Amino acid sequence: MAMGFGKYIAYRTVNAVIILFLAVLLMSALFTKLATIQYTAQVDSDVQMWVQGYFKAHHRAPTQEQILNYKAQLMHKYGLDKSYWGRTWMYTVDTFIFRWGNSIEPVFGTHNVVKQIEGALARTILLFTTAQVIIILIGLALGVKSAQIPGSLLDRTISILAMLTTSLPMWWLGMLMILLFVVYLGWLPITLYSQVAVSGWVNILKKMSLPVLTIVTVSFGGWSWIIRNIMIGTMQEDFIMVARAKGVPERKVIYGHALKAAAPPIVTMIIFAMLGSMGGAIITEIVFNWPGMGRLYWEALQLNAVRTMMALNYMFAFLFVFSMVLADILYGYLDPRVRVGAAARA
Amino acid sequence: MRWVDFKDSVKRFWSEYKHQVSGMVGLALLIILFVLALAAPVLTSPNIPKEWQTGQAWITNPKNAPPSWENYFSSVKKAPQKVFKLGDMQVKHQINGSQNVYTLTFSYDMRYNVPPKNIVITGIASNASTPKDNPKVSIMVQRPKEKGVKYENILLLQDSPFPNGGAIQLGYTPQVKSLLFYWLYENGVFHLLMPLQPQLPLSIRLLQLNQQLQMNNTLYSYFQSADPMKILFGQITDSKGHLLPLREIVYNTTGLMGNYKFTLLIRSPKDVKVNLDNIEVTMVGRTFGSLGTDQYGRPISIGLLWGIRIAIAIGLSVAISTVLIGVLYGVTSAYVGGWVDELLQRFNEFMMTLPVLPMLILLSLYFGGKISLTQLVGILVLFGWMGTAKVARSMALQIKEQTYIEAARALGAGTGRIVFKHIVPQLLPYAFANIALSVPGAILSEAGLSFLGLTNPNMISWGRMLNDAQMNGATINGYWWQVIPPGLAIATVGLIFVLIGVSLDTVLNPRLKRA
Repeated sequence: MAMGFGKYIAYRTVNAVIILFLAVLLMSALFTKLATIQYTAQVDSDVQMWVQGYFKAHHRAPTQEQILNYKAQLMHKYGLDKSYWGRTWMYTVDTFIFRWGNSIEPVFGTHNVVKQIEGALARTILLFTTAQVIIILIGLALGVKSAQIPGSLLDRTISILAMLTTSLPMWWLGMLMILLFVVYLGWLPITLYSQVAVSGWVNILKKMSLPVLTIVTVSFGGWSWIIRNIMIGTMQEDFIMVARAKGVPERKVIYGHALKAAAPPIVTMIIFAMLGSMGGAIITEIVFNWPGMGRLYWEALQLNAVRTMMALNYMFAFLFVFSMVLADILYGYLDPRVRVGAAARA
Repeated sequence: MRWVDFKDSVKRFWSEYKHQVSGMVGLALLIILFVLALAAPVLTSPNIPKEWQTGQAWITNPKNAPPSWENYFSSVKKAPQKVFKLGDMQVKHQINGSQNVYTLTFSYDMRYNVPPKNIVITGIASNASTPKDNPKVSIMVQRPKEKGVKYENILLLQDSPFPNGGAIQLGYTPQVKSLLFYWLYENGVFHLLMPLQPQLPLSIRLLQLNQQLQMNNTLYSYFQSADPMKILFGQITDSKGHLLPLREIVYNTTGLMGNYKFTLLIRSPKDVKVNLDNIEVTMVGRTFGSLGTDQYGRPISIGLLWGIRIAIAIGLSVAISTVLIGVLYGVTSAYVGGWVDELLQRFNEFMMTLPVLPMLILLSLYFGGKISLTQLVGILVLFGWMGTAKVARSMALQIKEQTYIEAARALGAGTGRIVFKHIVPQLLPYAFANIALSVPGAILSEAGLSFLGLTNPNMISWGRMLNDAQMNGATINGYWWQVIPPGLAIATVGLIFVLIGVSLDTVLNPRLKRA
């Protein structure tokens, strides 16, 4: 049963959408449960507060009926008057079709979840995607360079660097950066990282400097190393030997033949990394007080803003699924063998 | 596999592995780590995990103190922690009328610009049944000779009752400050409007002193802001022997170096038994030990040592479980094939779609926000096996097509037999290398969750220590000793497993051997 590449992609896309929906359903079930526990406690304490307030104002206790009325109001406000599965389903559908609505508590200064995420996404892209672009550029340059002469000083340095940085907690390095550049050297003012808001482009760029440096330091070694490995794998293929034997200049062999052949896995990696970078990093953003996606999630969590958390998790999952499909398409586009193979296998 | 074959292959593996320099370095470090983890109760105290949170054990430690060796790099020498135990003191026991009198003397060699932060006395036990029978402690200090000083002896504390399990913190005892100011007054550092009458009892004189200090705004502000320890251990005259003004003594103290002779007088009614076996007089340091302390006075070095256990326990258990589950999952998926394979692969993608850290945070909140070690391992395994499963599946797909599998099937071997006897053993080399390489990730995840404060605070883990540091504003305050060591430990343990993993990979998966 052969189907065309177009059909294969269509199959993968439908598949991805189903998976995404199921993921949202599961997350919704978990979040609703958590929210039920926390909102129930909230309602109870609110009712008690109200009863005390009423007693102070009217010098008598409210009637049982009044209390129940007030409680019912609160239950409605927090959505507790609907059944658990009813709410789960509602959250799932709302989240899935981007009808994100308003969070009960304001996060990042607004109730509107779409606005919260727009703002956070923009700031995360500004920081993490910028850093990722730098990492990819450095990785490509160093990786290709060290693949040219395996075993050279550069090559060995990169291998060691990759090993050293894989087990380095990024957020810890961030703390060290603040300690060194802000506290000991005093190159940047402390308020830049002790508070969230900064104003003016110059200050934003200054605030970006340390996190970008941190992210790049942690990741460029690993990237260079992986690109080196892919390149070395390609350089051992016969067609490279043929090209060299034909007398094609080494530069052209590397950038024309080898890099082109190594493109599919590299492009896939780039897609995953670029889209992945839009999710931010919770702990690093907390350390640097950077109001991006990760910090938004953390703050939403503290405030029980279920809709915000759902929407964020949906974004994280969406970015992943989208990269998966995109990678499938681009892989087929860049590598005819995959295109044919995938179609034949399906 | 027969035992002989197994022994043989282990031997062959070892003969290759021992030529891997980085692998051997990693192995040696790992052994050291194991030894340290096992020796932690012996090197410190077996009660540490219980005491870590309660804080009783750290009461005599300074808070946020830097490591003592910082002194070598600084022109200002700060006093380190120093503890005097019963063995370090001369003890005399007399019975004076109806009272037991113990006289304990010791001398403290003060060679620092910044004197100890506090002096804490603990461990005086008695069988007193009513508070009035509690032993009473008085302290006298003989300061080193200082030019131009009339009285070198200071009465620091008089008849302070000591309940069982209590502690006297001289730095925070009001009486100590008053007595020190009395001593300054006696030496003529400052004068009072109405001179104190020597014939009156000491308690009355102190009362008068306090009253007069409070009436004089300047004097009283000095009194309020004075650090008793800096007066006790500080110079009160200049090099020519002239008395320094009070403001110099309070605000610009210079340490008076030399031997300080301490005398502790402990008195109790004759029928009350006093046990001094556990007595400790602690000169609370401005610096502490090899790695300083955190905001609760807990030594960083102890946390670092005990943290090895959690790191290794979590790292290994998570890595082994995830890899085993991943390999079995992948192999089953590949071998069974068909719609089962399709279903398992979709489930794998489903799990990969869930964002890991947000889900980890969510699940830890599910478990009450303070997850225990086993729950943590469970959660990390739940979200850790997918990558391995994908690789194992593609490897198993290749192996499945080999002729010997076909032969086994022709001979009537069942699925289980083929999977466990023929396919899984082929994947073991990959699995072993992968286990070692998965350890850092697991440790990092634990550290991240602990850093966010979602794990059990009784767990002594490096992530938890970094969480404490963050809560304490350690980066902003420049408490580098609270930030650098735990992270460095995480990175080091990670590196050890990476070194081992890469070497295992090179030896066990020869296909990857490259120029």
